[in-house]
Amino acid sequence: MGLIEGVGLGPIADRIHYPNISQFERPNVVTTTVDFIFSWARSHSVFPFTYGLACCAIEMLSSGFARFDVARYGMEVFRPTPRQCDLMIVAGTVNEKMAPVLKRLYEQMSEPKWVIAMGACATSGGPFYDGYNVVNGVDKIVPVDVYIPGCPPRPEALFQGLLELQKKIQAMRIVPPVPADDAAVAANARAAAQQSAADLSPDDLPPAAPAEELPGEALPSEAPVAPAAAPADLEKVGD
Amino acid sequence: MALPAIGSAGLALDDVAARLAAALPSDLSDLRVQEPDTVVAVVAPAVLHDVALRLRGLEGLAYESCNFVAAVDLGDGFEAVYHLYSFAANSYLELHVAVPRAKPVLDTVSDVWPAADWHEREAFDMMGIRFEGHPDPRRILLPDDWVGHPLRKDYVDSIENHPNV
Repeated sequence: MGLIEGVGLGPIADRIHYPNISQFERPNVVTTTVDFIFSWARSHSVFPFTYGLACCAIEMLSSGFARFDVARYGMEVFRPTPRQCDLMIVAGTVNEKMAPVLKRLYEQMSEPKWVIAMGACATSGGPFYDGYNVVNGVDKIVPVDVYIPGCPPRPEALFQGLLELQKKIQAMRIVPPVPADDAAVAANARAAAQQSAADLSPDDLPPAAPAEELPGEALPSEAPVAPAAAPADLEKVGD
Repeated sequence: MALPAIGSAGLALDDVAARLAAALPSDLSDLRVQEPDTVVAVVAPAVLHDVALRLRGLEGLAYESCNFVAAVDLGDGFEAVYHLYSFAANSYLELHVAVPRAKPVLDTVSDVWPAADWHEREAFDMMGIRFEGHPDPRRILLPDDWVGHPLRKDYVDSIENHPNV
């Protein structure tokens, strides 16, 4: 009795830090950008294509099993058909008989798609670089995103290549950035609209309010022209 | 050391050679024994197909399996080597057939041993030995538009030989 005396449930319960659930009482909305959420989802659910050509394939497959476990990166769904894949891991020597097949399979993959050249052979031909039938690097056929050296690379090296590819995927942008010139055009257009609205008499007021709220969309659609000409055209439209 | 015979005949290697010499006295020349389990013989190209048929039907020593067909570049000529196996005698037979470099043509044996089909295609692809009567005499390892036969000693690799990549 002496051992458990004073170690009752009460003190233990006091030491447990329950999560603060008061946040659920407030409007529960998380805001982010389309680019972030799509690149986050894409980079953690890559479907690799089972393209093992030589001994690198042994490492690629062992990286999929429990000891190394590529599922930690969300990339465990190896598919045997290119139509369900967005990552081609070229694991092994590409010879000239295989080259047109590889190109066709790459073209059958759905966009967006990436290619990893795994090992010395897929990178540069490797130990067979001067073989009469060896393609010296798969980048002669398809564009390569990540090169992994090694002969063959261990699964850890493949994982580092996958992590580098994740960085590359996360840098992708779906929403096109607004070029600096367009931003200047929009600012000029907004200023011109305000000026033209101020010049008008109060009886002719209607265009002013929409121009205030949607400067970037409404005005350029009416006057999608070069920056220098924008203010003059806008005045005509206003009249 | 001879491997234990598992066939019904249970022939020793010297007995196999003696029976071959008796069965095909005029067609197998330079018959010799290569331990532990192989008999080596030279065959003239003209009688190759006939010899193949007779070897396949030998009573108690039927060479029913063609393990592979090799091609060798000896410099002044080629040599096709047929590796045969007799289940009955648990014994191997190598047939060496000389092929002239000027006219590298042999009769096919793919009708005798269907397994020889792809091996003859490979011999054509790599060494340029044509096999008359072959049902599908295409290249097998290289692209169809490849120029030359790369395992020949006088083959010079060039990008013109395979312009696609």
